[in-house]
Amino acid sequence: MSATRELMFDHGQPSYSEVNNDVINALTTTTWRYWVTLGISAGTALLFFVAPWIYQIIVGVGAAGMNRNAMWGTYLSNFIFWIGLSHSGTLLSAVLHITQSDWRKSIYRSAEAMTLFSLMTAAMFVMVHVGRVWFVHWTFPFPNPMELWPNFRSPLMFDVMAILTYLTASSVFIYMGSLPDFAAVRDRSTGLRRRIYAVMCFGWRGTAHEWHTLGWAYTFFAVLVIPLAVSVHSIVSWDFAMSTVPGLHHTIFAPYFVCGAIYSGTAGIVTVMWMLRKFMGFGRYIGQLHIDNLSKLLLVLSLIWTYINICENFSGWYSGTSFEYEAILYRIWEGPFWWLYWEMILFCAVVPLVLFSRRIRTNWNLMLVISILINIGMLTERFVIVASSLPRKFLPDVFGTYFPSLVEISITVGSFAIFTTLFLLFVKIFPAVSIYEVKETLNPLRRREAHT
Amino acid sequence: MTLLASFAHEDAALDAARALRENGVDGVDLYSPIPLHGADEALGLGKSMVRVFTLLGGILGAIGGFTLCVWTATRFILPTAGRPVITLPPYLLITYESTILLGTLMTLLGFFVVARLPAWRDRTYRASSNVDRFVISVAGPGASDAEEILRAAGAESIEREESE
Repeated sequence: MSATRELMFDHGQPSYSEVNNDVINALTTTTWRYWVTLGISAGTALLFFVAPWIYQIIVGVGAAGMNRNAMWGTYLSNFIFWIGLSHSGTLLSAVLHITQSDWRKSIYRSAEAMTLFSLMTAAMFVMVHVGRVWFVHWTFPFPNPMELWPNFRSPLMFDVMAILTYLTASSVFIYMGSLPDFAAVRDRSTGLRRRIYAVMCFGWRGTAHEWHTLGWAYTFFAVLVIPLAVSVHSIVSWDFAMSTVPGLHHTIFAPYFVCGAIYSGTAGIVTVMWMLRKFMGFGRYIGQLHIDNLSKLLLVLSLIWTYINICENFSGWYSGTSFEYEAILYRIWEGPFWWLYWEMILFCAVVPLVLFSRRIRTNWNLMLVISILINIGMLTERFVIVASSLPRKFLPDVFGTYFPSLVEISITVGSFAIFTTLFLLFVKIFPAVSIYEVKETLNPLRRREAHT
Repeated sequence: MTLLASFAHEDAALDAARALRENGVDGVDLYSPIPLHGADEALGLGKSMVRVFTLLGGILGAIGGFTLCVWTATRFILPTAGRPVITLPPYLLITYESTILLGTLMTLLGFFVVARLPAWRDRTYRASSNVDRFVISVAGPGASDAEEILRAAGAESIEREESE
C-alpha cells in the first residue's frame, strides 16, 4: 500500500493544505495566456463550426457531400468518434472506483470532463447531421396532438435513449464527485465567487453523515454507469450493424465499437493529461505511474482492436458471399479510401506496439504523439467504415462515391475547437484534480502507525 | 451551545468520537476533509437509505421504459413484416436504458434527501475541516460534559459557539 503511495507522486508527497493550494490556485489564477487560448479556440469554433453550419441550414444539407446511397457521411463518422472519445472517462473512472485503484484519483475528474464534453460535441453532430435541426425534438417521445410516437424498434431510438441517459448519468457522476471540492473552493474565495460556489456545493460541510451518504450514492452511480457506457457504444454500433449493408452488417460490431471507443478515449485521456501537466502545473499529481498504467491499457486495447479487425476481415473473406467479400476488398484495396484504411492500421495497430517498451510508456512527450496518432487513426477508422460501405450497396447501377465537402471538413475541424473551448471553461470552473481524493492517497494523518 | 474541537490527526478524532459515544453524549458530528474509514462505526452510521432510492428508481425506470414502448406501439397499430406489435428485444433495450436513467436520478434524489442537502443557510462549520483538520462538534446539553473527553482525546483547540 505504502509502496504505491510513494509511486503515485514523482516529486514527493504534498501535504494536505498544499493539495488545496495547488488545485485551487490553478483554478483561480488566470493568466492572459489562458484568455488568448480561450479566445482563439472559441473564435475557431465560431468560424469553422457555427458559420458553416448556419450556411448549411440556409442552403440545405446539399452543402454536405452526402448523396443518395451515401446518406451518412463525415457527420456521422464524427459523431461516432466523439461518442467513442467519451467512453474512457466515465467508464474508466467508475471501473477503477469499484476496484479501488488509487491511481485513478488524480486523473479521473478531467477524464470525466472529457467524457461530458465529447458527448456534447457528439450531440452537436446529430443536430448538424439531421439537417432540419429545428425538428430535432421529434426524436423524443412526447405527447403531441398528432398522436405520433417514435418507433422504439429503430436503433436510432435506442441511440437517443442511450445518449440521453449517458449524458445525464455522466453529468451527475462528475458533479457529485466534485461537491466536496466546490466546498473547498467556496472556503478559499470571497465575494461573488464564494457565493456561486456556496450554491454549487449545496452547503456541503463534510460531516461523517454527508461523506457516508456520498460514498453510497457515488458507488451506485459508478455501478450504474459501467453497464451504461458499454451499452451506449454497442447501441451506436447497431445503428450500422442492424442495417443490411455489406461491410456494416457484422455481429462483431458491438464489441468492436466498445473496444475502439475505450481505446480512443484512453488515448484522449493521455493527451488531456499532458495538457494539464504542461499548462496547469499538475505535474506533481499526474506522474510516471499514471502514464505507465494508461499506456499499458492502451497497449492491451490496441491488441484487442487489432484482433477484432483481423476477425472482421477474415469473416468477410471466409463468408464466401460475393458482396461481403467485395465490400472488404473495396474498403482495403480498391476503393478511393484504401490509403486511409492502411493509415488507420498503421496508427492504431502498428505504432502502439512500441508501448511494449517501458521507456516509451513513461515518456510523456512521446506518449502525447502516440496518443494523438491513435486518435487520428480512430477518427479515420470511423470515416472508413461509413464512407466505404454505404455508397456500395448490392446493385452496381446504384453504386456511388462519397467525398466530404468543404463544409463537412470545416465542421470537423471546428468540432475540435468546440471541445477545447468547453474543456478550457471546465478547468476554470471545476477543480481539475480531485482535492479530497488526492488527499486520500497521501499518507494518512495519524498519531500512531497503522497496525496493518 | 455548540462545542467545536479541532484535531490534527484522524485517529485522534475518531477516538474522541468513539469516547463520546461510549459516554452517551448526543449531538456529536465529525467534520473531515476526506471520508474517514471507521467514522461510520464511530458515529453509529449503518447502511445508507440511498440504496432504497436506487432500487425504487431502477424498478420504476424498468416498468416505465417498457410501458412507454408498449403503450406508444399500441396507440396506432402498424404491423411491419409480420412481426409482433410488442417486440421484446428492442423494447428491452429501451427498458435497460430507462432503468439506468431513473436509477441514477433517484440515487441523486436519495442523496439529497438522506444527506439533508441543499442547505444554503449558515450552519456550524469550520473551513479548516475541509483542508487538514478534523473537527468534532457537540451540540445541545451534552456539550458541557464533552469538553473533558475531547481534551483527553488530544484536541488541539476547543471553541464554543453560542448561537444555535
